[in-house]
Amino acid sequence: MMGAVTSEKLTRVFTILFVLVFFAYLFGPLIVMGMSAFNTSSFPRISPWDCFTVEWFEVLTNDTDLMTGLRNSITIAIGVVILAIPLGLAGALMLTQVSSRLRPWYYTIVISPILIPGVVLGISTLVFWDRMGRMFNASYESFFYDGIFLTIVGQSTFVAAYAMLIFISRLQRFDAVQEEAALDLGATHVQTFRRILLPFLKPAIGSACVLGFLASFENYNTTIFTIVSKSTLTTVLASKVRYGINPSISALAVIIIALTLIGAVYFEIIKRREERYERDIDKLVKAGSTDRAKKASLLTNPAMLIATVVFIAGLGTVYFAGTIGVDECKAAIAEQKAIETLRKVDEFKKKQMFKKAAPGLETGTGADTPTTTEPETEAKGTEGYQSIFAPTNLEGQVDSDKKE
Amino acid sequence: MKQYWNRFFLKNGIGISVYLLIAMLVWLGMLIMLPQFFMFDFSFRFNLPPADLGGPKDVYTLSHYKYMAFGSEQATDSYNVVDVWVFVRTILTAMFVTLFDLALCYPIAYYLAHVAIGGWARLMVIALIVPYWVNELLRAFAFKIMLGTTGIINNFLIWLGVIDTPIEFILENYALYAGLGYAFILLMIFPIYNAIESLDRNQIEAARDLGSPWWRIHKRIVIPYAKPGITSGCTMVFMLTAGALAAPQILGGPSSLWFTQIIYQWFNQGNNWQRGSAYAVFLLFSTIVIVLITMKVFKVKLGEVSR
Repeated sequence: MMGAVTSEKLTRVFTILFVLVFFAYLFGPLIVMGMSAFNTSSFPRISPWDCFTVEWFEVLTNDTDLMTGLRNSITIAIGVVILAIPLGLAGALMLTQVSSRLRPWYYTIVISPILIPGVVLGISTLVFWDRMGRMFNASYESFFYDGIFLTIVGQSTFVAAYAMLIFISRLQRFDAVQEEAALDLGATHVQTFRRILLPFLKPAIGSACVLGFLASFENYNTTIFTIVSKSTLTTVLASKVRYGINPSISALAVIIIALTLIGAVYFEIIKRREERYERDIDKLVKAGSTDRAKKASLLTNPAMLIATVVFIAGLGTVYFAGTIGVDECKAAIAEQKAIETLRKVDEFKKKQMFKKAAPGLETGTGADTPTTTEPETEAKGTEGYQSIFAPTNLEGQVDSDKKE
Repeated sequence: MKQYWNRFFLKNGIGISVYLLIAMLVWLGMLIMLPQFFMFDFSFRFNLPPADLGGPKDVYTLSHYKYMAFGSEQATDSYNVVDVWVFVRTILTAMFVTLFDLALCYPIAYYLAHVAIGGWARLMVIALIVPYWVNELLRAFAFKIMLGTTGIINNFLIWLGVIDTPIEFILENYALYAGLGYAFILLMIFPIYNAIESLDRNQIEAARDLGSPWWRIHKRIVIPYAKPGITSGCTMVFMLTAGALAAPQILGGPSSLWFTQIIYQWFNQGNNWQRGSAYAVFLLFSTIVIVLITMKVFKVKLGEVSR
């Protein structure tokens, strides 16, 4: 009996540990990245911590490449939503109407864009429209070769499949009797579609739009091929991350994470509200009452209000804290670094003297040579991979920036 | 056939029927099937200057596939050492990453679906969504910050005294493996979670009451029940990892390549779209074949998966 209890305890401790490790793996990198956005160090890192700052957010908003990319990304995402959602809806409606023999094939084809690697989708789109353009003898300025158009088309291929899955799961709960009743009562097909099916699908259309927008916005694999000579947020981001990185990218990540968090919380609140609404209706129906259930307004929801106020206040505090005293702190750090460097130089000199005095003891001192005092400033990580990974380079980059 | 169309138009009305048919034509035809077909066709053609297109030189060829397998004509090796090895490495790594994610996610999915209670479980599921919507590039970037030579992990290990000199996580590709495992982990957890969640808890209770140890409960009840979820999770993670481009570009060491990077190079630096298409076709077919074979081995039907 005793043994059973301890083993149960052990299992529980082990389970909790496992869950903790998992969530640490999931959030650790994001937290480190988020924190590095607030460090003054010009290389994104959190140890050693220099000074707390929000200057990287300013750097971010002044980055014209990123802003152009952002504008294109939003245009593309809107285009994708407009094109892909109707396609996905049609795909879902057709599923029940394809003959049962063809249905597995149909389903495999419409679901395939989710599984086909994004790279392959991008390439096939590019090749297809290039061929089409040549077939119609279109000029290079026409839409056949336009990065924005190609990207919208390429991304819609799989976004439509996502949307279709959402519609299918909603349609499974649809009572076709409603449609038949409307038709029997003399409504036309278009009327039935607009007045019965679309209102029923409204929540699904909403989530499909949000999901489609986000999927398009964060796509990289397809976009990198179809965007041709233009740029989106992700392609600009990719080139920035690959060559020479600085914390303004972390700042962007902080913004994206914050928006996602807000979105997730908002979605959860809406979901709970809907559930409560449905419960209320159930109760009223059971009670035989003719009153209408009240839908709580989101704006007057106290929890939502408090959350908003806390969020704005927190934002203000962070911004305030990040703008005052930064220069003083930076100066202090620079001074510290200078002292450190002097100390190292001193040490080095002493060692040299020591070496001169006793040349027989030379072995093994090579590793102690302070390479950091002479940074290789010419290898600043702009010309390729190798220099980024050189351990001396990162130090050099920081030191040289501090000297400026 | 004619009867079918009559019924189709009668059921939907003219307007809606036209909308459905046009949408299907655009999506199935112009977005899914024709581009794939054209890419397939394109991969069998020579890389010609625009003037020669459609001329007598524009004929079908296997040269790009030959190049992929055997390298250029002048090469001394009996096969294309670089590309073949990159391909093998990509596939093996993708398989390993899939297994790693499965091992990590199955217990978590089970925990979320059956052990955790009420509010906590819900909070954790919401928490899972957040990293999912953070860009793939930014996720890789986060690993780069963390695992750099002067990154926090190295600093921490040095502070602990475990190591003296920083570990080259990026050069040694550890960062790449960690980043790839991280990139698509949620596509593993959600299908399994959805599958396990609908399992009747009484079945587990009954097995436990009858004296079955925990591993047998999983082997006989939970895993068979969650099989479709596990399969679709594994399929998605494998396909996406093998086709990943962002993580290898950012986290891959200077000498290591991912198969998609070779495709990217043929398009951007090599300016040989035909050869790039051939590589892409090969990647697509080989990954599909691997997935189908694995499904056959584990006796899962395609129809069960995407539910």
